[in-house]
Amino acid sequence: MNERMVIVDGVRTPFCKSGTELSAFSADDLGRIAVNALLTRTGLDPALIDEVIFGCVAQPMEAANIARVIALRAGIPESVPAVTVHRNCASGFEAFTTAYERMAAGRGSIYVVGGTESMSHVPLLFQEATARKFTDLAKSKSTAQKLSALTAFRVADFEPRAGLKLGLTDPVCGLNMGETAELLAREDGITREQQDAFALQSHQRALAAEARLAEEMCPVFVGGKALLRDNGPRSDQSMAVLGNLRPVFEKYGTVTAGNSSQITDGAVALLLMTESRAKDLGFQPLGVLTAYAYAGCDPARMGLGPVAAIERLAKFSTLNLADADLVEINEAFAAQVLAVLARLKPGIPPDKLNVNGGAIALGHPVGATGARLVLSSLKELARRQAKRALVTLCVGGGQGGAIWLERI
Amino acid sequence: MPNIQRQTLEDGIIVLKFDRPDSPANIFDLETLAELESHLDELGKPEAVTRGLIIASTKPGIFMAGADLHAIRKMNTEEVKNFIQRGQDVFNKLAALSFPTVAAVHGAALGGGYEVCLACDWRVASTDSATKIGLPETKLGIIPAWGGCTRLPRLLSVPKALDIILGAKVLPAKQALRAGLVDEVMPREHLLIAARRWLERGKRDHGFTHSATVNAVVDAVIAPGARHDVYKKTHGNFPAIDKALEVILKGSSSWDEKDSLEREREAVTELIASDTTRQLLNLFFLQEKARKFSVTKAARDAKPVARAAVIGAGIMGAGIAQWLSARGVSVILRDIDAERVAAGMGKIAGLYAAGLRSRTFTERDVRVGMDRISPAPTEVPLKGADIVIEAAVEKMDIKKKLFQRLDELVPEDTILATNTSALSISELAAVTRHPSRVVGLHFFNPVHKMQLVEVVQGRDTSPEVAQRAVQFAQRIGKLPVLVKDSPGFLVNRILLPYMIEAAALFWQGASVADVDSAMLNFGMPMGPLRLTDEVGVDISLDVAATLAAAFPSRMHVPDVLPALLGAGMLGRKAGKGFYKYRKGSDASLNKQVVKLRPPRMPNPPNRDEIENRLVLLMVNEAARCLEEGIVASAGEIDLAMVMGTGFAPFRGGPLRHADSVAVAKVADDLTRLATSAGPHYAPCTLIKEMAKSGQRFYDDD
Repeated sequence: MNERMVIVDGVRTPFCKSGTELSAFSADDLGRIAVNALLTRTGLDPALIDEVIFGCVAQPMEAANIARVIALRAGIPESVPAVTVHRNCASGFEAFTTAYERMAAGRGSIYVVGGTESMSHVPLLFQEATARKFTDLAKSKSTAQKLSALTAFRVADFEPRAGLKLGLTDPVCGLNMGETAELLAREDGITREQQDAFALQSHQRALAAEARLAEEMCPVFVGGKALLRDNGPRSDQSMAVLGNLRPVFEKYGTVTAGNSSQITDGAVALLLMTESRAKDLGFQPLGVLTAYAYAGCDPARMGLGPVAAIERLAKFSTLNLADADLVEINEAFAAQVLAVLARLKPGIPPDKLNVNGGAIALGHPVGATGARLVLSSLKELARRQAKRALVTLCVGGGQGGAIWLERI
Repeated sequence: MPNIQRQTLEDGIIVLKFDRPDSPANIFDLETLAELESHLDELGKPEAVTRGLIIASTKPGIFMAGADLHAIRKMNTEEVKNFIQRGQDVFNKLAALSFPTVAAVHGAALGGGYEVCLACDWRVASTDSATKIGLPETKLGIIPAWGGCTRLPRLLSVPKALDIILGAKVLPAKQALRAGLVDEVMPREHLLIAARRWLERGKRDHGFTHSATVNAVVDAVIAPGARHDVYKKTHGNFPAIDKALEVILKGSSSWDEKDSLEREREAVTELIASDTTRQLLNLFFLQEKARKFSVTKAARDAKPVARAAVIGAGIMGAGIAQWLSARGVSVILRDIDAERVAAGMGKIAGLYAAGLRSRTFTERDVRVGMDRISPAPTEVPLKGADIVIEAAVEKMDIKKKLFQRLDELVPEDTILATNTSALSISELAAVTRHPSRVVGLHFFNPVHKMQLVEVVQGRDTSPEVAQRAVQFAQRIGKLPVLVKDSPGFLVNRILLPYMIEAAALFWQGASVADVDSAMLNFGMPMGPLRLTDEVGVDISLDVAATLAAAFPSRMHVPDVLPALLGAGMLGRKAGKGFYKYRKGSDASLNKQVVKLRPPRMPNPPNRDEIENRLVLLMVNEAARCLEEGIVASAGEIDLAMVMGTGFAPFRGGPLRHADSVAVAKVADDLTRLATSAGPHYAPCTLIKEMAKSGQRFYDDD
């Protein structure tokens, strides 16, 4: 196929800190709300959809292949297939680029994609040894066997393992994501003040962009109220307030909760079509995908993923950084973004980078973020009447993803 | 032709299957009972070496619908007695068989259709959605008299049986299992395998499930409470419930089956002869007709409504959207901003939560239902909607603008419906390019409780669209009545003069208590002044003004309504109207309202006069609607009034009531009242003519 893939429309739920206003919603609830809102506002006949592709990092046990659950719950006919994709923090990207690959292979022309994450619902797990004891108990038949199986349990067996913490720890290099950011800060000599200043700017920009960000959202209806605002951005943020926070990962480190991305619930849905199909159906697309690339890097320095991805992107596109009217670098950690910026040539002017704030203020519902970056940057291109955006993010496990988008 | 098929399985197990020829349903008439009896006699002989009996049905949706009510309605007292006795005898034979018996229920097993199951040792049922099990007799003014009042308390215990029989409950399979009405449920395909498994258990021990002391306890503890609860609900107006209660309680305290069956027979024979029961049966037939009201072939073949849009997320809009979503229809719920949509979504969630508490819904039902709703706080495309139901504010200019826009947004074959309760469909339709597809679809509040829907045909509404709307109403489980576009349509037009006159009577010096209790006594579910409070004084005033403008010769706006409005006494929503309302306590009379009215007239009407005047006014307006051809038949008016307003069901509706008291007397009373109480009582032409010629509204009595 030599047809381009266009983004017809997109919508997201508000992003809310885990354990707050969206905590009653599961990841499939959130995904359903976004997809349903997308279909309602576009009026697309859902039977025309070729496939639903969703990213989700911590798929709920009760919604295996969450994309299918979301599709059916959103009123998409049973005949339309659905698949869930996982590339860690780039899962929302992966859903987006997978659709492109399907189109390029001639498999279809209309895809609903997105990402969803309810970090409020990432479960607590039993330890392996405890789980074995439960199996023994279930297997035992006689009362004596049961009694013996029961007496094997110890108090320590009921110490849960936090799924979130496990998920954020790299099994290969053994470092927690925050520790990879500390590593970059140490090696690059990025100071606490530089990180805090970057974080403060993210909050200030997100607060100033509240009305603009609301344009991307569909309300979530809860308790008779319409929720239509991200709750991550903090108006009381200052260098002093940020400076008082303790490092989370290393005793003498510089990475704090204040200069890291927030743990958040939210979902995004995008309607993608081949350019000709969108035209046939009479849609005015937001923009077009022009190139993308994923690249691997050292898992212990996963924050540098964007550098590797942008370098690889040059294989597929003649554009360079100077061609970008807007740049989105996902803010996993302030230290990580600063480390990336230091390596990018030519440098990115501050008024083009993360202009409406980033994940430090808005939060990082891991499976959804990639799709949000696509949506947010396209909306901003339209507001600015600008042409191109480069969107990139780092991926746990040592990868990066980068995408060129263009307004049409 | 035989009504029952017999099949012998290899090991002495017999299956009897109900299979009424040329009919989708099985019913018990004399012929079927006789056939069942001869099978039982034959199988019971020792040489037959029957080892077990399974009773089933060949029909896809019905096990056994019960006794032939149409036949019963035509029987005289002696015939009724014989019919009941026949049924009891045959079922007793079934219960007395020496080998085990199982009822394998797939489809509806109602009334006599469940009583035959009760005479079996065991009952299994399919989990199919067509399976519905219960004893709805008391709703029809009769009682389960083929052993239901006798065997069910023995199977379940007295309080549980009272719950089923007095509540006239009909339950889906899983709930029937929980209630104990059946022993096990399974997929339809496993029904026979399961039935055979239950046969292996042998005869069920029919012994006493309660000891003698428990029976004494029934009398001492349950009986007074049960009697009190029943009276509170029926005011003695539903004798079937009282009779069922007595038969069950007596049967339980003496525990002699034969005596109890005799009491069933006596009670039901007496009931069927009563006017109340005749009216309830008439109503039941009317409901059946409205539910099955056959639409034209074109309407049947038209695309069924799968997706709807409701415009307006207020009480009615939210109520309609919730009802549709629970009935499998996807709904776009649209209003002008997110706050309004949010309030509507909150109401819908509340309705589902209440349904979950009352076990109407499972958690899955709630989730699936809520998922079917697409909230739309801004204008969205409506290309996919098969029907749009507008439930915005009752202002003609707003509705006109809306319809002009809707006309552009939807495809040409989409039905545009309005839920207006007062405005003209024809006038509204005129602003669209295709007025033929505009129709009224008047739901009543609260939507999930009120079965009636007025399908209003405007001047230009095409018959095909009207028929499709009727079919849509049927498909979502409502009772449609097709009415012509005219101020107030049918129900409000008859109800409003009654509410207005009640307010006028109060203004003339009658007490609020007298007015309301007179009508409660007549059998209305709520007094007219209390109803005015519930509807809202402002809304009542609006509708009264519309009707007064349309019918200036006989309708007016009573002075009391503007006075109440001026005093801020808007009814329930304001906390006070004719009554005072406080959270957590019953409504009490509002003494302030008396101070608003002019000096008391010397001789305010007493309760009898009040009842007579208010009822006659409804009868007169109902007859006028028939005269004007607002609906096609008296039956539709009566059904609409009972289902839409709760008009005393045991009186059968205003026109049945007129027949009961005689149209000539109605005409006389109205003529007399026209001089003494006001010209608005003057009898309509139809009543005058019928009085002269001695005609009746119905010719079936």
